[in-house]
Amino acid sequence: MKIDTLFIDKAVPRDFETDYLISRLKTDPQWVEDSKTVYDVINTADDPVSKAKKTLYITQNKGAVIKACPGTSYYTCCDYTILHTGTFCTMDCSYCILQAYFHPPVLQYFAGLETLGHNLEKIFTQNKIFRIGTGEYTDSLIWEKISLQPKFLVETFARQNNCLLELKTKTVNIDSLLPLDHNGKTVIAWSLNTLDIIRSEEKGTASLKARLEAARRVESKGYKLAFHFDPLVIYPDCENQYKKVIKQIFEHVRSESIVWISIGTFRFMPKLKQIIEKRFNDSTICYGEFILGLDNKMRYFKPLRIKLYKQIISCIKEYAPNLLVYFCMEDEEVWEKCMGFFPKKEGELGHYLDKSAVTHCSLNPHFL
Amino acid sequence: MSDFLCKINMLDIDLTDQRYKISFLEEDITFLAHSIKETGLVIPPIVRPLANKFIIVSGFNRVRALIYNNRAHNNETKILVYETKPDATDCSCLIMSITALAFKRPLTHSELIISTRRLSQFLDKKQIAKKSSAIFNIELNVRFVEDLLAIGALPDPALELIHHGNLSFKSAKRIASYEKEIIKVFLNIFSKIKASNNKQLEIILHIMEITARDAIKPERFFKNQNIQDILFDENKEPGLKTKELRAWLFEQRFPTIFKTRQMTREKITSIKLGNNIKFLPPQNLESQNVSISFTAKNYSEFEASVQNLHAVIGNKELKEIFNP
Ligand code: SF4
Repeated sequence: MKIDTLFIDKAVPRDFETDYLISRLKTDPQWVEDSKTVYDVINTADDPVSKAKKTLYITQNKGAVIKACPGTSYYTCCDYTILHTGTFCTMDCSYCILQAYFHPPVLQYFAGLETLGHNLEKIFTQNKIFRIGTGEYTDSLIWEKISLQPKFLVETFARQNNCLLELKTKTVNIDSLLPLDHNGKTVIAWSLNTLDIIRSEEKGTASLKARLEAARRVESKGYKLAFHFDPLVIYPDCENQYKKVIKQIFEHVRSESIVWISIGTFRFMPKLKQIIEKRFNDSTICYGEFILGLDNKMRYFKPLRIKLYKQIISCIKEYAPNLLVYFCMEDEEVWEKCMGFFPKKEGELGHYLDKSAVTHCSLNPHFL
Repeated sequence: MSDFLCKINMLDIDLTDQRYKISFLEEDITFLAHSIKETGLVIPPIVRPLANKFIIVSGFNRVRALIYNNRAHNNETKILVYETKPDATDCSCLIMSITALAFKRPLTHSELIISTRRLSQFLDKKQIAKKSSAIFNIELNVRFVEDLLAIGALPDPALELIHHGNLSFKSAKRIASYEKEIIKVFLNIFSKIKASNNKQLEIILHIMEITARDAIKPERFFKNQNIQDILFDENKEPGLKTKELRAWLFEQRFPTIFKTRQMTREKITSIKLGNNIKFLPPQNLESQNVSISFTAKNYSEFEASVQNLHAVIGNKELKEIFNP
């Protein structure tokens, strides 16, 4: 989606980073005192979510730059760390939680590479492994073509040995990353889905083929990879369709390059349903067999989740028996039935992932 | 109000012209007729002269009661009415008719809908909202007026169904956003069943979601033999039809959940724990917690229940409930 309105917070210094952004955006910026103008423009639109996707607000991060992933009670979380570089997204997936998460959603880019650097330094000096990602409140690479941030992050992470940077995306914006000296510390991750789901539910994202081609290209430059099957959507013949995607992964890249694959079926806050119905007339994604989960999110009926997970896991294991596959937000029963074990202890799942990070990204094993 | 009080010949009233009638109720006027006979007419009806005739603006029941009395008792042909000013307009008469009723008692949903629909011939939604407190004796915001107009545009027998409580305001609002053919389906369904608002909304939701999921038109879905059998069985009460329809729709909408619940129920029954022991499987199978409880008034009841529980240890079905 093209940015048609650009607001810049007056507090953002006019430096190289900002000038670079402005020069690439080709939209006249409006400098604003605070975010009120931006909120007003978005809130008064017929479809605030769509308007927000075309309205970029360059500002400074006024909250925590680095924070622990919130997770939820009842379902096992992976102890991820979020690097907060921006919010919302220019692509338009029907199921995107960000539509309902922010009130209203605002496409923010947090300028200030120096601030990012300072905050990261504090993490780099800890004797602990961190898996850090920017793709929690936004797509990690939507600004790759117009911003210096991805390059800055890759090069900053390259200079330390206790943190892995995961850039999670549905784009193929990787060109500026290819020549960088990443020192193996950056993992480029793609969220994948079946052709049907990409076509019907992931508006504005790169095709499956393009994502896998991009994965092949970054792999050729030594980057490590990750894949996320999240959200898995249950529909007739979905098992076979997901198996085809898995097959294609291993036709494009080597299993040794993959740090992990996560899987998680579609789940949503009840209020997202209305938004999806309003904005995506043809989407039937909410009409599966959902029940209200223990975290007050709608989830597929557990036996259905287990059935799909089992097939996907066994398919991945056929291609890569040692590859780390984990669930994003699942409970003990699902783990036990699908994986044969449950990381019960606090931090146990995180520890498995840290180990994989250490092995694949040459992090300091003493910090494990 | 009206210009003057006068007596007119009741034969001069055109009873067929009901353009100002906003009430659905065709009330029994026997008591009213009796009261008028005993006490006299407290407030005369309002009529409007039109093309050598009079049409009723307000007081449809009073006119009927007066005609009834005149016929039954005194063969009197004259009745006392207020006649509107000669310059009264259609709009002012309609407002008069609504106001007369609204300041007597709160209007029902169907009356509000009819009134708003008729008023919209003269006023736009914003004007209706602005004047609402003076006309309806209640403030209506523009959004609500929009809803009333949307529902007012529903075809027959929507208003009748709303009036009789077969179609709730919320359900009517929901179906008003659908295409004509789909609206017909729901009007058809709700004229055959009697369900609370929540159940109506559930029925609408399930039908729309099933048909969207399966990419079939609701009109076609409605022709499904199961639905037809439920709705058009003359021996079934509307309440029973509602129950059966909801159960069938749930099965279509959530086939796996339905089957699993049914199997679990069968297993619980087969365990034969006795009436005193309540066995609740985990809700929706999401949690793993099974709840087993019993109450005991005395030690022997307690002992009996414990023995019952003991007797089922090792039961195959019981194990399956715990390890689905
Ligand atoms: S790519 Fe991710 S962040 Fe962007 S719209 Fe899709 S789900 Fe949301």
